Amino acid sequence: MKTSVKNVLASVKLTIFLMSLTALTVLIGAWCPQESASGKEKVVEQFGPETAKLLSQLGITDIYHSPFFLSLIAMLTLNMIFCSFMRVFPRVKLLRKPLPFLAGKDIGKLPVNTSVVLAKDDKSALAAVALKLASKGFKVSTSEEKLLAEYGKYGRLAATVTHIGLLTLLVGVTITSWTGFSGFQPVLLNSHLDFHESEHSKLWIGKLPEWTVRVDATHREDHPTGEPKQWFSKLTVINKDGKELKTQEISVNNPLTYDGVDIYQSSWGLDHILLNFNGNERRLDLRPMGKLYAAFLPLDQGTMMLFSVRSDGTPIKVFAKRPDWEGPRMLTELSQAKPAKLGPVTISLVRTMPVTGLQYKCDPGLPITYIAFALIIVGVMMAAIPHRHVWVCLETARPQADANGSASNEITAVRETANAAGQKVLYFGGRSVKAKVGFERMIKELERQIIAEFGAPGANLETADSKVETTPALETHVVVDSDLHKSASASKTKSKKEQVLAGKATGAGNTENVQGDS
Amino acid sequence: MSEMQLAFTNTAGITSVMSFWVFAASNGFKNRKDLLIRIGSIALLLAFASLTAAIITRGIDAQRFPLANLYESLLWFAWATMGGYLIIARAYGVPQLGWLASLTALLMFLYGSWLPQSQHDIQPLVPALVSYWRWIHVPPLLISYALFFLGGLSGFIQLYKAGRIQSLSASVVTVALALLAVVLGTFTEVDTAWLQILFAGGSLLGMVISFKLLQRIDQTKVDIKASETFDDISYRCIAIGMPALTFGIITGGLWANHAWGTYWSWDPKESMALVTWLSYAAYIHLRVHRECSAEKLALVSIVGLLLTLMTYLGFNSLGLGGLHSYGKFK
Repeated sequence: MKTSVKNVLASVKLTIFLMSLTALTVLIGAWCPQESASGKEKVVEQFGPETAKLLSQLGITDIYHSPFFLSLIAMLTLNMIFCSFMRVFPRVKLLRKPLPFLAGKDIGKLPVNTSVVLAKDDKSALAAVALKLASKGFKVSTSEEKLLAEYGKYGRLAATVTHIGLLTLLVGVTITSWTGFSGFQPVLLNSHLDFHESEHSKLWIGKLPEWTVRVDATHREDHPTGEPKQWFSKLTVINKDGKELKTQEISVNNPLTYDGVDIYQSSWGLDHILLNFNGNERRLDLRPMGKLYAAFLPLDQGTMMLFSVRSDGTPIKVFAKRPDWEGPRMLTELSQAKPAKLGPVTISLVRTMPVTGLQYKCDPGLPITYIAFALIIVGVMMAAIPHRHVWVCLETARPQADANGSASNEITAVRETANAAGQKVLYFGGRSVKAKVGFERMIKELERQIIAEFGAPGANLETADSKVETTPALETHVVVDSDLHKSASASKTKSKKEQVLAGKATGAGNTENVQGDS
Repeated sequence: MSEMQLAFTNTAGITSVMSFWVFAASNGFKNRKDLLIRIGSIALLLAFASLTAAIITRGIDAQRFPLANLYESLLWFAWATMGGYLIIARAYGVPQLGWLASLTALLMFLYGSWLPQSQHDIQPLVPALVSYWRWIHVPPLLISYALFFLGGLSGFIQLYKAGRIQSLSASVVTVALALLAVVLGTFTEVDTAWLQILFAGGSLLGMVISFKLLQRIDQTKVDIKASETFDDISYRCIAIGMPALTFGIITGGLWANHAWGTYWSWDPKESMALVTWLSYAAYIHLRVHRECSAEKLALVSIVGLLLTLMTYLGFNSLGLGGLHSYGKFK
């Protein structure tokens, strides 16, 4: 019972099922606006109040925090842990195990294999193969008349590295969600930022800092066109006894970091203006209006005063609007240095109050998350490396090579041409987990080179011809096909097919040359 | 748009049209096949070279990295599709993919040329995009999309070579419906809810039917060797597209953390990229554990193609917004 549960948890079928379900859930989350990101209003706006209510009840409007999604992630994690420890990680040990050298008979059973009859008993053929393989990036080891070459061994570690990366990512994210916090707070000039309204998960074992941040200065820099270019805030970190701990000017992309908390400049605006009307101070809240900020002061039924300001430090324009006027009329401009007199009233500007939008976050898991990112990238990149083995063996030819032993393979079909009993034969073959077609072509190319350099004249002639010569067009294969059909018995159909396939494969080889030339 | 840039872009468009027709014709004229394939390859190579030049001149004209809006991303996508095909053709010698690759590039060109003039004009960057992260984060993603497309197209040919003609037809119709939804969403005022239903419903139904039809085999069309080759090509495209996608997603996270203080915010496009990532992760697991036939894997790669289409173009055209709406123009 215990083992069966273990096996289910470690099964790839479960992985596929969980991945598909997660993908579907995330897809729904991408489709439906999420309350946590765009707010409840957006959902209502898009679907209408009734559908929005239904979606909310189903948990779809906050799907990434729903118990369903969280348990899905938990299951996926569990599945990955079981898979990793039961199958993926143990395979690393296999990498250290040396593979045996193979004899000609066994090489004939490999997925891709061939043999070349040599002109003389020549060990230099083996050395030449070793050199050629080494130049293609293979790690070659030899033992007397046998050779074993391996390529992309570390590609086998891809799954291990990726899985370690993903598990590390989960550790990083968990640390952050259990101990980190974040938030946003608009802070007026000379006011303090504290962390009491931070957002953090329900399962939280972190601690909020006792220190606060005072905004000493904040201003905006504009492009000549009036578009904002950069926002700046001078911040001072103060402990609870009032001691100043650190001072720094921040701007967008240039945060302040103190005690593991990053404080970002995230937005900027003007909050209000303080005006003095004949000695009475009055605060007027500003509202953003395009590139400007404006405050409204109703005077009586229909009459209104408008104050518009572009930035702190620039003069304020004062307008008045009456219902019988077509548009507002500008009355005067005022700045701190220059009060304005409107009839019996003297208006002076006490100050324009800027507000700086500060985003803060404490992400203690971040270094671990970054390590995880690096591991995942390296892992998936390794997954593209094909793992390949080549075995070569120099033997005295047996009277009849066991072509039956080697399963469907086109190279087998076109070899074993000459009866080379007594002569030395170079057997070679191999396997590739990925990019099989490229591997077959590499072996064929190798065969062609060996025949050209070391092949016994006559013995490999037919084989060599079938490779090197330009391959006829598709019709010729059909002819070969039907010719064979006449003579061949039913049991030979397979090898007939192989013949055709071999021809086609070399045909593909020609096309490559054509395109290489072009 | 400078004249030189326009000339290069037009040359790329015309030569890709030409290569498409020549490749397509090569399937019809058996005795001129090799010559036609040669001409088609040269035309495509020319298209690739002029598109490269067009992108570079656009970058020089704009005085910035030329990848900032939908139109520019389409140029990159077409470029990566052609480049990917040329590499595959060199490595595998498979002209059958040529006409599908040039058709894809061609469709992207057409789609791009129909976009409003504001997309073609070089415009100043929105502040959010002024960052060196732009050329680290975006190109790998477009290259991965192109590779996933090529993987899916190889899946189509694999189905054909395996004699799964009915299943192939069903999946071709499915992808065509998805493309239709994207085109309608981009160029017309049809209610996006209907288009979402067309895309999602069509894909779901079409792929289920395609899976069901896998059992029907037309033995006269079966070509085992070729089907194995295209199976291998599909896997190669995905095995190389996957690191590119992963790299793009993660660098996006790093950029977001740099700019907004958080590396993941479940933005719709982020989520879609994750869905695509998960689907290809599933593909790789199915592949590694040999639990699926090559034909089923071909269909999984086509599902991946649909999700890639959704992530790349479906997003803005089907009315799902978020932080990545730079391609939006309506």
